[in-house]
Amino acid sequence: MWANSEIEADYDPYAYYGGGPEYEMHTGDPRQDLEYERQYQSSYIVPEVIKNFLLFMQKCINDQNLFEVQNCYENGFNKLTDRFFKNSPWPEAEVVAPIVGNDQIFLILYKELFYRHVYARVQSGPTLEQRFESYYNYCNLFNYILNADGPVPLELPNQWLWDIIDEFIYQFQSFSMYRSKVNKKSEDEIEVLRTNPKIWNVHSVLNVLHSLVEKSNINRQLEVYANGGDPDSVSGEFGQNSLYKMLGYFSLIGLLRLHSLLGDYYQALKVLENIDFNKKNLYSRVPTCQITTFYYVGFAYMMMRRYQDAIRTFSNILLYIQRTKQMFQNRTQLYDQISKNNDKMYTLLAICLVLHPMRIDESVHSHLREKYADKMLRMQKCDLQEFEQCFSFACPKFLSPVPPNYDAMAENFHKEPFRLQLRVFLEEVQQQIQIPTIRSYLKLYTTLPISKLAIFMDEPEDRLRTQLMCFKHKMKNLVWMKGTSGLEGEFQSASEVDFYVDGNMIHIADTKVARRYGDFFIRQIHKFDEITRNLRQASHN
Amino acid sequence: MAEAMRGTVASLLRGIDRYNPENLSTLERYVHMQAQENTYDVEANLAILKLYQFNPGHYQTEIAALILLKALTNLPHTDFTLCKCLIDSSRLNEAPISRILELAEDLETCNFQQFWGELRDDPDMIAGITGFEDSIRKFVCHVVAATFQTIELEKLQELLGNVIDTQAMQWVNKYGWSLNNDGMVFVANQEENIKTKNITEKITFDSVAGIMASSR
Repeated sequence: MWANSEIEADYDPYAYYGGGPEYEMHTGDPRQDLEYERQYQSSYIVPEVIKNFLLFMQKCINDQNLFEVQNCYENGFNKLTDRFFKNSPWPEAEVVAPIVGNDQIFLILYKELFYRHVYARVQSGPTLEQRFESYYNYCNLFNYILNADGPVPLELPNQWLWDIIDEFIYQFQSFSMYRSKVNKKSEDEIEVLRTNPKIWNVHSVLNVLHSLVEKSNINRQLEVYANGGDPDSVSGEFGQNSLYKMLGYFSLIGLLRLHSLLGDYYQALKVLENIDFNKKNLYSRVPTCQITTFYYVGFAYMMMRRYQDAIRTFSNILLYIQRTKQMFQNRTQLYDQISKNNDKMYTLLAICLVLHPMRIDESVHSHLREKYADKMLRMQKCDLQEFEQCFSFACPKFLSPVPPNYDAMAENFHKEPFRLQLRVFLEEVQQQIQIPTIRSYLKLYTTLPISKLAIFMDEPEDRLRTQLMCFKHKMKNLVWMKGTSGLEGEFQSASEVDFYVDGNMIHIADTKVARRYGDFFIRQIHKFDEITRNLRQASHN
Repeated sequence: MAEAMRGTVASLLRGIDRYNPENLSTLERYVHMQAQENTYDVEANLAILKLYQFNPGHYQTEIAALILLKALTNLPHTDFTLCKCLIDSSRLNEAPISRILELAEDLETCNFQQFWGELRDDPDMIAGITGFEDSIRKFVCHVVAATFQTIELEKLQELLGNVIDTQAMQWVNKYGWSLNNDGMVFVANQEENIKTKNITEKITFDSVAGIMASSR
């Protein structure tokens, strides 16, 4: 079960329906029945414009016209969605099949879009059947790609390939959540879940990602690339093909995400050990993939108490978002998604900077000051509730890899994975809770007797000595220095306030940073330049 | 033995096979080996906890406890936290895991006296783990080296678990510290590393040459 070479290949799409007559019956609710008919009766008439779009898209895919496929995917599909299917599903694949001459590959790709749309936009969300169908559709897609003798004749835009992997994991996550909330389900539903343990099973999901990684030889390719070699020299027949190469790369990011959702931060970073993030790489052209990567890497670092690395990771990507945000302004869904990630990462950055104050990029810092000053202040004052709120808002949606015990359901089973990570995080914070207060006193002095600080802190000297050691221990983090593996590093302390104890005296070293003007002036010069350019243009017209 | 196992285990953990529960018995044996022979392999140990997470029926308290204790021997690395993130909350509340969590809390907050005290009350907990106490002393020395320029020998002995003079001196010598006549141990000249820094902005000509050229 854990290593199917075929991913559920022997699937009978109607096996679990049971074909009972109830399934055919109307509900009695006219609105719902209408919806039912719209979905299931082939008499539903597909508008001409949709028909033409599908035929055009099919042609582009079969001609491997990447430019037009991308256009269909990023513009055409979304525009038609807004016009015809804003909150309702696209036509069923059975209805589309005769239009496209039963083109199986096209239908698989169409269903990928169809179910994704159901998950994202249809108000009632996916039904259990749709969750299953979508899973089988992904299996069919991956089997087609993985079980071929040579690379399959298919080319898709990178954005779409990334979205496939991203959505595959999202739907797995969504299913795990759904499965864990048993109290709202009918007995029939529970029975279906109980008898289909393999569907959206964690092993199958891992298997897909690992298979794509192996098929593409992506790790070997990245290794050679990081050492300045030509990846094609080791890629092999499949890995040379852009479809396989990109799916392999995105699967690594998928694994990063999946391991993080399971709370395995070591493995999360380990799967990326051949990717050099400090070198502009061939694979980083999909912004949403880039953002996802940095979010999970930063989060893993934070949980591993590698605050300096977490801060570096978050500031880098936040700066990147700040600079590229306008590019996405007219793509609403993407823009919303990026904005949400942006807020989460600022929140995580705020947490890290409270625990480990250090200097960061000026423009990221000023946004933080503007929007997160209150939260940071409360956290600095040891408000554990604020830590909890920030963490809950910004953390990934943790999940359990195993189904619940359907017979003896725990009340909040679906929240357990989140609670565990929250607990670990808060225990860490609790251990450090005195540090901000100590720091605030140390800041005021260059030397300070332990006895005096003990009076300020209202603690016995012995306990204070312990707290000072704890301060040093917690502020000495592993910091990444070089190489591609994000797990490596050296112990460093780079926090703003540092000190040492000589006998009974604390000697304090503060880092004072003078205001930086360079960036500010450069930005203003650019702005001024732009204005004069525009003025000149306007006067010419 | 354990060193020889390292390679075998690493190949077991490559690719999809790392999720195969049939590997558990080999991996569990390997944990015992690490304990006996004072070696350590965090990746293999995390793989076991992951297999427990995927197959809750296979969970063994004794192995989980051993893994957590071994993680403590690798302080100041945060392996203990990594392990904790993979063990069910309800399991963390069970004995002896809950006791080990308390020990970890003492170490993480550098409450060393209390740590040694708790260990003295329950010495069986670390039975069978070779070199456990010395690994912790190594961590204590790491913290001392980061915090102090000088520290009383007596204090140092306390932190190391009330060790006798000669034993304390072994640690002092091991790290190249020295004992002064006044009973103070000189750890390191921290003034060299820890000093007030003033960071002012330096703008190089190269970094602004571009903008100067473009806005002529």
